[in-house]
Amino acid sequence: MEFLNYFDNVFTVYHIALLVGGTFAGIILGALPGLSPTMSVALLIPFTFHMKPESGLILLGAMYTATVAGGAISAILVNVPGAPANIATAMDGHKLAQSGKAKDALHYCFMSSFVGGIFGVFILIFFTPPLAALSLKFMSTELFWVAILGITIIATLDAKSVIKGLMSGLFGLMLATIGEHPTSAMERFVFTDHLEGGVHIVVGLIGLFAMPQVWNLLENFYGRKNEVFSATGDSTLTQSFRLVSGKIKALSIGSIIGSVIGIIPGAGGQIAGIVAYDQSKKVSSNRSNYGKGEPEAIIAAESANNSMVGPSLIPLLTLSIPGSPTAAVLLGGLLIHGIFPGHDIFTKNTEVVWTFIDSLIIAQILMLIIGLFLSRHSKWIMKVPDNYMAVGILLLAVFGTYSIQNDYSDVLIMFVLGTLMYFGSKAGFSPVPVVLGLILGTMTEEKFLLGNMIGNAKGSSFQHFTSGTINIVLITLCLVSIAYGIYSSRKSK
Amino acid sequence: MAFIRVENLNRIMNRPFKISTVLITLFSAFLVYASFVLGNNEDYLFPRLISGTIAVLSLMLWFEKGEADKSTNFKDLMPGIAIATAFILSLKILGFYLASMIVFFTLVMYYSKPTESKDFWRVLLIKLGVTIVFSLTLYALFTLLLKVRTPEGLF
Repeated sequence: MEFLNYFDNVFTVYHIALLVGGTFAGIILGALPGLSPTMSVALLIPFTFHMKPESGLILLGAMYTATVAGGAISAILVNVPGAPANIATAMDGHKLAQSGKAKDALHYCFMSSFVGGIFGVFILIFFTPPLAALSLKFMSTELFWVAILGITIIATLDAKSVIKGLMSGLFGLMLATIGEHPTSAMERFVFTDHLEGGVHIVVGLIGLFAMPQVWNLLENFYGRKNEVFSATGDSTLTQSFRLVSGKIKALSIGSIIGSVIGIIPGAGGQIAGIVAYDQSKKVSSNRSNYGKGEPEAIIAAESANNSMVGPSLIPLLTLSIPGSPTAAVLLGGLLIHGIFPGHDIFTKNTEVVWTFIDSLIIAQILMLIIGLFLSRHSKWIMKVPDNYMAVGILLLAVFGTYSIQNDYSDVLIMFVLGTLMYFGSKAGFSPVPVVLGLILGTMTEEKFLLGNMIGNAKGSSFQHFTSGTINIVLITLCLVSIAYGIYSSRKSK
Repeated sequence: MAFIRVENLNRIMNRPFKISTVLITLFSAFLVYASFVLGNNEDYLFPRLISGTIAVLSLMLWFEKGEADKSTNFKDLMPGIAIATAFILSLKILGFYLASMIVFFTLVMYYSKPTESKDFWRVLLIKLGVTIVFSLTLYALFTLLLKVRTPEGLF
């Protein structure tokens, strides 16, 4: 029960203000169609630079929690999920909005998100320390394969083509090699003065996630027509609470499935929401009403996508493998604040990590309160025009990038990288594996060089990398992940 | 190329020409060139491994039965890219706040719904007002509150 000792750090005026601000902004950003939670967290990272690590992480954690829940607002009112995690919610949530019960649907969303979210944070609290201890057995070659496994899983799950997914991850690793060599400090691939410092993680994060959103909003500006429903409905908060608390089966299915999928590296809320929706439909007595505005469907999907948030940090904190795309961005945030995931994260950064985890519980409570409050005014949030959103993101992206090192070169790199990524995404490439490759690149190269040196001293580098139980298990998992990616992409065609 | 089976070759020949696949292959070839030819010492060991794998994957891409690339609406996109590029390039001359005001106003004016043209002057005044309020908010937030440096120029 060590986590109970650090609530004092969360309950300071400054941290509560950060939590309220982060949750409020997160719900609004999550609700805006076209703004993903991943991009919101990426844009926020530069604002945390001047904060203490625990303060910065509290703000990022609150934003992560709130954007996932906020995405349900646009899923219900406009039938456009604010995030991929809310796809399942849109199926029944929007039907309720069409029948004049949008307010009821929003109540169900935030209440079930709260239950799932709290469940997920407790899974994080109880499972992370033992898994962190297990990672003690990971040496240089094992850590190299862990990084490759992380990139492989994200690459095969996030992209439509396994080949393009893997290429994206490898492009990320190549980006990380620009600049100084990690051990000899020799410059590599510095074709222009602007690349002298390499590609900073946050510059990559902002460029790869924010700029494509800007171009997407502008490209589709004249074509997008969304009918926004008002948040009307008959139910009071008490009636909604009674209904949600009576749906124990849907809440349990959503929370458990979301937590399990959250722990699986790379899977994310989209899969959690859809699997929970599907499973709850199978056991529901109202299954014929699914797809027509069934509250149980919303409860299962929303409790799942929010219960995923906490467990998605378990592989992140212990092995540097994010459980979701947004967790990949959060990994960048941890590294920026000098917190390196691994077996000693709870000994070297005890106070920071437990304060961060405790703040996630408070963020869930605030998400419920602020979410229910904002539900009433959600129609106005939806009315922000796309051109204003695009230029707002552009200015924040430029400001955020420049503020990292006060370097104009970073702005140019961000702009070029983001624009290339936009056209790359048209050809089926995904930014998530690129980002993960960029984040893990330096660590992967360091472990590779160390393992190679030890292997050469032993006689065979290849044998050193491919022997030992953990290495063999990790290599097998990489191959299984690729095979599964090929199988699922063929199945979907 | 004797190892390529005839049916695969036919499929390649019949396959619609995809610019992206060609560009990706060329880019992969450049990465291989940069890590094997330009970098000729031990420091390039890791990039060589990665670029080599990328090159193999880019060749495999030619045999993949992939989805067609999504089309791009260049007509609506290119003006936005041009305005944003001018903004980025003018940052060091005009400074962040002045350049921001100009790009904000230009983008929201250029990307206007057809319905807005009926009431042009009112819309123009509203957008000008929003631009000024947004820019002042940025200044108050970034410079006065957070005390963070922004690209310097005229303002």
